[in-house]
Amino acid sequence: MHEMGLTRSLVAIVAEHAAGRSVRRVRLAIGPLACVERRALSFCFDIIAEGTVLAGASLEFLEADGDTFVIKDYELEEAA
Amino acid sequence: MCGTCGCSDPENMVVMTDLAKGEEALLRQGALAPGVLDGHAHDHHGHHHHDHDHHHHHDHDHDHDHDVPHVHGPNGEVITLEQAVLAKNDRIAQRNRGWFEGRGVLALNLVSSPGAGKTTLLERTIRALDGRVEIAVIEGDQMTTNDAERIRDAGARAIQINTGAGCHLEADMIASAIESLDPKPGSLLLIENVGNLVCPAMFDLGERMKVAVISTPEGEDKPLKYPHMFRAAEAVIVNKMDLAEHIDFDLDLLTRNIRVINPDARILLLSAKSGQGMAEWLAFLKDQQAA
Repeated sequence: MHEMGLTRSLVAIVAEHAAGRSVRRVRLAIGPLACVERRALSFCFDIIAEGTVLAGASLEFLEADGDTFVIKDYELEEAA
Repeated sequence: MCGTCGCSDPENMVVMTDLAKGEEALLRQGALAPGVLDGHAHDHHGHHHHDHDHHHHHDHDHDHDHDVPHVHGPNGEVITLEQAVLAKNDRIAQRNRGWFEGRGVLALNLVSSPGAGKTTLLERTIRALDGRVEIAVIEGDQMTTNDAERIRDAGARAIQINTGAGCHLEADMIASAIESLDPKPGSLLLIENVGNLVCPAMFDLGERMKVAVISTPEGEDKPLKYPHMFRAAEAVIVNKMDLAEHIDFDLDLLTRNIRVINPDARILLLSAKSGQGMAEWLAFLKDQQAA
């Protein structure tokens, strides 16, 4: 279950970068050798994101090469 | 709270115990670093209301960082990040690696499933070198200081890191441990990772290499079942060779399976209990120290 630790890292990275603004979507690039289980990641994401600017955000996956495990981009909630 | 393993339990703590100094330190607590949770951490980036007399007009009603490439999509703003999730760990690992190289400390990261015999191998290694080579050990386990006590009794300095619900050691834990251990120049730092053939493969600690330990009763197909770990290891120790004849162990099959995953891995056969093959392992350590 290292996905919990990975999710913690990714939520912390995006939350810091978003600097207080709400995030609606995060896109991750994951390679076949990354040793990351997507379903476990999604499961952890909902829990870890709670109470952060990523709460309720969706997590999307992009195919990548090798052991890539990178946060590609994130989308902010539309400014009111 | 994670229903599967409890990782996000707020009580989840990573604790480091220095047996020689009798000190305990809390390395981590809770699921997220302070400031990540919603609220007050980044208020200064939000909407500013100045009470000053001067007025200026911004193009945007929020002040985001204009150095970051971004596009305005049909929904919200999309911000390109392109950041490796493990970048922080890898940065700390590189710092550890530089520290080891600068001091001439050989750091090895021992990985295996629980019960493969890592601690017994360390005990035997410490006794065999008998003070001729300074050895320091970092022990990773979810709970208890049992292993660090065994290492201390064998005659080496040891730090125990208890990862709580965590399933592997990370680079920042090693950074804290070496600060306390302060391994001497020219010494050997043996890091016994949490017994687990999955996650420790992903986390660079700054070691010279990972050494995987597999024991004969585990079955010849372990390398095929856990390829990430056997790919990440530069050396594979086959332990409990003294049991091989009693359990129909097929060494050729295991060797072939290791080679399929990792053609270049150095394979060492030994029994940490009987002592067979230990000379080769000690020679390997000496070569690595000289390298």
